[in-house]
Amino acid sequence: MGNPRSESNKGDQVKFQEELKDNIRKALPELDVVIGWCGSFDPLHATPHFMRREEDIDKLEISPLSVHNLATYLPGLRGKKVGIVVKGCDSRSVVELLQENLINREDITIFGFPCTGVVDQSKIKKALGGHTGNIEFCDMSESVIVIKSEDKAYTLPMAEMLADKCSSCRYPDAVISDYFAGEKIGNKGEEDADYAAVETFENLSVPERFGYWLKEFDRCIRCYACRNACPLCVCRDHCAAESRDPHWLSQENNVRDKLMFQVIHAYHLAGRCTECGECQRACPVDIPVLMFKQKMNKEIRDTFQYEAGVDPEATPPLLSFKMKEENITEKVW
Amino acid sequence: MPVLTGKELRIVGFLCNWCSYGGADTAGIGRFNQPTDLRIIKVPCSGRIDPLFVVKALMNGADGVLVSGCHPRDCHYAEGNFYARRRLEIMHNFLPIIGYEPERFEYTWVSASEGQRWQQVVTSFTEQIHKLGPAPKILGPEASDTLSLMQAAL
Amino acid sequence: MDPVKYLKSADLMSWLEELARENKVFAPRYEGDAVIFAPFDPKQEISIKHAATMPPKKTVFPQSEKLVDFTYSKDPENLSRILIEAKEILPKGTTVVFGSRPCDVRGFTMFDRVYLAEKTTDVYYKARRENTSFITLACEKPETTCFCHWVDSSPSDASGSDVLATPIEDGYVLEPFSEKGQKLLTSSLLENGERWILEVKDVHENAAGFLANAPDLSQAPQKLLDVFDNMEFWENAAAKCLSCGACTYLCPSCYCFNITDETTGMKGTRFRSWDNCMSAQFTMEASGHNPRPTKAHRLKNRVGHKFSYYPAIHDGVISCCGCGRCIKSCPVGIDIREIVQEAINHEPAIGKE
Repeated sequence: MGNPRSESNKGDQVKFQEELKDNIRKALPELDVVIGWCGSFDPLHATPHFMRREEDIDKLEISPLSVHNLATYLPGLRGKKVGIVVKGCDSRSVVELLQENLINREDITIFGFPCTGVVDQSKIKKALGGHTGNIEFCDMSESVIVIKSEDKAYTLPMAEMLADKCSSCRYPDAVISDYFAGEKIGNKGEEDADYAAVETFENLSVPERFGYWLKEFDRCIRCYACRNACPLCVCRDHCAAESRDPHWLSQENNVRDKLMFQVIHAYHLAGRCTECGECQRACPVDIPVLMFKQKMNKEIRDTFQYEAGVDPEATPPLLSFKMKEENITEKVW
Repeated sequence: MPVLTGKELRIVGFLCNWCSYGGADTAGIGRFNQPTDLRIIKVPCSGRIDPLFVVKALMNGADGVLVSGCHPRDCHYAEGNFYARRRLEIMHNFLPIIGYEPERFEYTWVSASEGQRWQQVVTSFTEQIHKLGPAPKILGPEASDTLSLMQAAL
Repeated sequence: MDPVKYLKSADLMSWLEELARENKVFAPRYEGDAVIFAPFDPKQEISIKHAATMPPKKTVFPQSEKLVDFTYSKDPENLSRILIEAKEILPKGTTVVFGSRPCDVRGFTMFDRVYLAEKTTDVYYKARRENTSFITLACEKPETTCFCHWVDSSPSDASGSDVLATPIEDGYVLEPFSEKGQKLLTSSLLENGERWILEVKDVHENAAGFLANAPDLSQAPQKLLDVFDNMEFWENAAAKCLSCGACTYLCPSCYCFNITDETTGMKGTRFRSWDNCMSAQFTMEASGHNPRPTKAHRLKNRVGHKFSYYPAIHDGVISCCGCGRCIKSCPVGIDIREIVQEAINHEPAIGKE
């Protein structure tokens, strides 16, 4: 996260990682599985790691590459005793799942840690000239990320490589946890979320906005990675996108249906989305699909002063009403 | 209706069965003059309206969408319109991000006895849509089908 | 065969413009941050330095295609009878794809065995396949996720391609591999390229040299059948799978489809669109029963089909071209190489009767 904060160095990172492993070692005998991250196909990628045996814990790695929101797996593991390692943003998805009774609190063990932000792979790709196919080496500290690719070394400022959600993060520490390794950074939930990008986009003209989305969604392949990576797309195998009755979307390769699906996705997340950004990260053709959800959240905040994924006991605004709505001004004819 | 070609726009109205549909009927029986752009779809309650109907209508070629239900506290199902108000207000404010003017969609309340109010709502909403002109349309399966024409128009 | 030709890099765009006069030309270019095969536009830069984000699969097998237009009407003689008139829509015109990679095009050879089989020929596929030519770029350096050498291919494999273009200094050496390919090499912009043939060999060998020894996959078909009923194996392999369709839709050799009639009023169109075995609906039966109810069942099918069931009926050919897109673009980094190797090395539990 880009906020200036105490220069914790790599030593601290290693220390809390050991503490986290100890926590997991203590809890694992009572659990079926603990989900974390480990190294992947090259030094620049991590992958979700399912720890079932004690020796699996050694492979656990927490780093700015731990991008995946592991809360996505929780509803599918209902009925099992599951441990989950969460970044601050991931923990908000857990809160949301608890709020909606999609997981049982007593079955879930939450491992928190102080998150200093995760990278945006597409920013790194750009910094490396559009190619990250041959990464030979990658090392990270709080301030820089050092990459060797095609015999060339790059030293990139970490702050510029972080995901956008991280540079304006208000919840670096898990908002809910059973174990917390390392020192908390301090959540700032009272501060307003940053929607400057949405506002800038809305200042464009109508044809510019409409044309932008048509151009972006043209390359959508309808793989629905955005939906399946979303921790709150809980309909799973029963999505409106693939239903023939009601027939929301046609099977034609039509930009209208691709755009419509994103509106459906955003609206079905109204008051539920925690902006973890997994939809956008998962997109194999890099379509900026997160903006619709940010806009939805902005409206929910402005109208109902509500933020999702903070309080497991809260009632989402669209599941309640007031006789007199303070912030809704109806049209006078 | 070839006479109206080019003069009429396409407006879709979702009206609740208990109040607004009756209100529109009252306006008809009273022979109040109304613009003819609106096509009415009757629904059981404004709470039945999935706000995505609005976007679906716009994307399929509508130039405006009007939702009308019972006045707050008058809902036949007690609270359907209270939920509707929250959902529709959010959708109204969401539209700009897609590239639709929020004024293309309004929701309001008209009771079965308010024929005159109905006339006023339809007339001023139709005027509002005519002021905006036709909504952006998607003209083919590929983005280029639409974009090339949009650029030509600009 | 016509001689080998040479094209200067500086003439590339003009040559593509020439080709675009008579054909629909597709070339990779940036759309946002992704590299997509798009209709060639001389005003827009093409991007051929690295393999594209998406293979050019859609040029022969579109994401969705119209098969039949149909209209219902009432029989004037007997109004209770509905008549239907249907019109087949066959694809027209010729297409040239420039900048595909050997793996991208080799994928179509997997399609051919299925869609151009003697017993049943898919007329839509056949029309497009025959009218599409591929000018494939040999790879100079494979990526971390590349494994074409595992599946009997190489960075300069021309199978399925019409022309193989090998980048050398300041230009490309173009070798025709089919009659269609020869016809593409008649432009006056091209000169004889025989004298570069040794350099071409160097580029090909150099690229192959980057790839380490490949594991022996000859046991894969049997070994995958051996773990077929071992759901624990597959549940572990699929634990992190999200069950999305990114891997299949980006795969140059995945060819499954869905058929849908989209009807409005009395008119309609029958579409064929991509489908993928990662989706629950793929095997959903009308009764509501689903023989592949979980993501583990589905991932098993994807790996099994490519490395076991397909080879079993197609002379041992593995239905994977090793492009590595399913690894690189998987939102959670599932590595198909790992799964196949785990299956090969899997020891059945001892003591199991």
